[in-house]
Amino acid sequence: MNVLQNLITGLKSLIQKPRIDSELDEELDSYMAASAAHKQHSGMSPEAATRAAKIEMGSRNSVKHQVWSSRWESFADNFLQDVRLGVRGLIKSPGFTSVALLSLTLGIGANTAIFTLMNAIMLRPLPVQNPQQLVLFGDGRAEGSTNDLPDGTWRLFSYPFFREFSSKTDAFSGVAAINSMPFGLYASVAGNALEPVNIDLVSGSYFSVLGVPPFLGRTISTADDQAPGGGPVVVANYAWFQRKFNGDPAAVGKLIRIQSHDYTLIGVAQPGFFGTNVGRSPDLWIPLSMEKEISPGWNGIGDKFFQSLDILARLKPGVSTPQASASTNLLFKQILRSDYVGANPSQKELASIQHANIELTSAANGLSGLRLTFSLPLKILMTIVGLVLLIACANIANMLLARGVTRAREVAVRMALGASRRRIVLQLLTESSLIAFTGAALGITLAWKASPILLHMAMPGPAPVPVNLTPDLPVLAFTLALTVLTALLFGTLPALKATRLALTPALKEGRGGGTASTRSILAQSLIVGQIALSVLLLASAGLFLRSLTNLTSIDTGFNKQNALLFSLDASAANLPHGSPEEIRSVQLQEQIESRVLAIPGVQSDSFSLFTFNNGSWTENATFQGIPNTPENRHDVFLNNVGNGYFATMGLTIQAGREFSSHDTQTSPKVAVINQTMAHLFFPDGSAVGHHFVLGDDPADPEEIEVIGIVKDAKYTSLGRSGQMAAYFPCTQRVGFYGNFTVRYAGDPGPIITAVRQIVAQANPNILVSGVSTLKEQVANSIATQSLIAQLSAFFGSLAVFLACLGIYGLMSYSVVRRTNEIGIRRALGAQTRTLLWMILRESVILLAFGLALGMPIALASAGILTKLLYQLSPTDPWTFATCAVIVAAMTLLAAWLPARRATKVDPIVALRCD
Amino acid sequence: MIQGTLDMLILKTLALEPMHGYGVALRIEQISDGVFRVNPGSLLPALSRMERAGRVKSEWRATENNRRAKYYLLTAKGRKALTAETEQWQRQIAAISRILEA
Repeated sequence: MNVLQNLITGLKSLIQKPRIDSELDEELDSYMAASAAHKQHSGMSPEAATRAAKIEMGSRNSVKHQVWSSRWESFADNFLQDVRLGVRGLIKSPGFTSVALLSLTLGIGANTAIFTLMNAIMLRPLPVQNPQQLVLFGDGRAEGSTNDLPDGTWRLFSYPFFREFSSKTDAFSGVAAINSMPFGLYASVAGNALEPVNIDLVSGSYFSVLGVPPFLGRTISTADDQAPGGGPVVVANYAWFQRKFNGDPAAVGKLIRIQSHDYTLIGVAQPGFFGTNVGRSPDLWIPLSMEKEISPGWNGIGDKFFQSLDILARLKPGVSTPQASASTNLLFKQILRSDYVGANPSQKELASIQHANIELTSAANGLSGLRLTFSLPLKILMTIVGLVLLIACANIANMLLARGVTRAREVAVRMALGASRRRIVLQLLTESSLIAFTGAALGITLAWKASPILLHMAMPGPAPVPVNLTPDLPVLAFTLALTVLTALLFGTLPALKATRLALTPALKEGRGGGTASTRSILAQSLIVGQIALSVLLLASAGLFLRSLTNLTSIDTGFNKQNALLFSLDASAANLPHGSPEEIRSVQLQEQIESRVLAIPGVQSDSFSLFTFNNGSWTENATFQGIPNTPENRHDVFLNNVGNGYFATMGLTIQAGREFSSHDTQTSPKVAVINQTMAHLFFPDGSAVGHHFVLGDDPADPEEIEVIGIVKDAKYTSLGRSGQMAAYFPCTQRVGFYGNFTVRYAGDPGPIITAVRQIVAQANPNILVSGVSTLKEQVANSIATQSLIAQLSAFFGSLAVFLACLGIYGLMSYSVVRRTNEIGIRRALGAQTRTLLWMILRESVILLAFGLALGMPIALASAGILTKLLYQLSPTDPWTFATCAVIVAAMTLLAAWLPARRATKVDPIVALRCD
Repeated sequence: MIQGTLDMLILKTLALEPMHGYGVALRIEQISDGVFRVNPGSLLPALSRMERAGRVKSEWRATENNRRAKYYLLTAKGRKALTAETEQWQRQIAAISRILEA
């Protein structure tokens, strides 16, 4: 009989246990009968023979038990029995069960939720062929486009460079390029209404390098990516295809109209493939050859100085990353030397080439802005929730210890009846696992719901961040491992302790049990550990909250109250680009501005290239006759704005004038600069009337005159200060700028409706893609910090609460145990205060130990948080003092409640109690 | 009973003919002249274990007194096991004798 058969027979006998049992009974009967018959045959009387046979057999049940134990299914049977027993035990003590389950659900749930995010954002490999062979050129930290040649590490690359590099390299089996910035545009699918789509522009090699096959039709090929404008085709994301076409294969071949150009849907990518950027999933992929059609202002196809691409490459089998890196950099410098500088390069150019390098980083997990932003916060949150789970474990262990004491008699009875210690330990561990697994099941459910909410809180926006957060195998494995570890952590010691008892005294004891056990070192150190960990968690929560307060109380410079932000999308409006006609965009904006200004309640309004935290355009500035200093060499934040911008943002003009209708396309170029910029270039005098150019070349013909100085403000983030800024009028930097800000008074509702109408009247093809407020924009820019502060505050409070629950439980138990003693003391005339102190003393000592242990650990480890704190020392004394006071107050409260109850005990009752 | 020999003795007994539990116990006792007495508490678990291991199989048959009893039969696997265990046992006995005679 092989293992499988053994298994099947065992399972059968488990299911048909009564039948197996009666068969065994029959066998024993026939055994006895045969034995008696034999004895009778050799001369005994029937009665004597039967008796002798019975004596020979011994305990019938014992024989049956031995036969049953010789088979493997007896273990399974025991286990089922233990589970039944455990469930019954847990139902009998609902208080313990609900506290244990609640803390485990929160603990395991929080760990699973954070791990789900970590897994999705940091750990999961790209769903492509052999993702570990993929490398990224640069570290993926840049997005957008740049035209300066960095004197150091390169992050973005131009299309001509990509073409030349991929034709010459021999370290890679393939090289692909993706536009570093996604395009959010509007598309009309098969003649239907416009709807928003996200687009990634990719090289013809993209799908073949990644090894992503089509689900339907074909993917983009190199032939689609040859001549500019020569590849009007799209490949759809499987999820988008399902949404739009319900999986109908007839969709292939349909026309999709984007920016007044038609594209043929040639295929659908393999299900599950979301692109190469975690957290940014395009709906459509379009060849880079169509860049100009998708983004009319861009000219990346032919311009080697227009660097906007991320480059991904697949290592040839057998080529290591260092080898590839050496070969890449060699070829890179050759290309720089031959294409980017003239025949006689200057000393400076040679030095630049010397320093230029490409750092190859692994792209196995894809590119991800989310990863760069959230790595550290996620690791810190993971630590926090891990510690919370540890506290929960300590709490449950403590409760089990106390339970073990009350159950000493039960255990003693079972052991006296012959149960082995092993069997009882197993039974107690089964009970612990039962709690742990139920907690884990609830926790996974919690995490499933919680992780998308967390992600949304960290990255607020109208659409959910496209990251797959369904629990996959790694997440489930993590939770399973965590659960088993948890069960062992809180179950083992109490179980071992519960079974290590002297039987006689345990059996003799009345209610309650061994005096030594509750005051054991183990229980006390668990409490000390809990207090120490709560200090640590509460301190980090305090630091995050203080840092958040610092951030939110920052003076933004602009007035964030009563300002509405409209995002307008003109991609379907077919506005002129790159021609003298382009001024029509500006005229359209001015038309909208003046009509909106007429709405009752609107105080001022303006279009702008940026408002706050929605992108940036930077370049350095050179003033004529002003020497360069390290301070004024920094990049200047540049913005193109309408005439009402400063009034709308609440930025007051400090000197000179603001833009007016006299600043036109043909009048001299003007700019308003901020105080920081004025001060850095003209520390002693006024900047108004001086001329500057963008870039390093003072002989640049495009001179800009400073006409005014405006108050400093925050531009890209709240945490960044001292940034130089310059504003240009839209009339002199023509284009359609989609950010429209309206300052209002009163009820915003009717104003929003009116603005929508005005925009639709001005041009029905301009779409209002989003409405928010400046205040929300500011709040969203610190969403991550808010989330960390909120979560850490929640978990810090939970930690303190659990620790207090532990103290409360321990003290309540100790009071019950000492009822007798307290009664005697009271009868002898002890004062209430004396009694109170007698009982509280133990907790005060534990608290002191906990603080003495927790404070130094918290102080020492707070340094890790430095990067996440804004204008706050990680050892901020105020935070630490508050946190110590809170922990002390809560602990003493938790101890005081049972202590006070003890002093109210009636001495007569106390003395009568056994 | 010498440690670890019960299985071998049971197999040997069953090699002669199929038998029910008491028959096996009786036969071992008789052949050993009452030196080995096997009680049901060790015999039946041993039979159950060997049945699971596929060395014996069982079937219900009528006894000479017209009762139903579970008879155990040796399987091919059990026969092989008996040969192997017997050989090993004899090697051990021979070795022990040599040591004792030395």
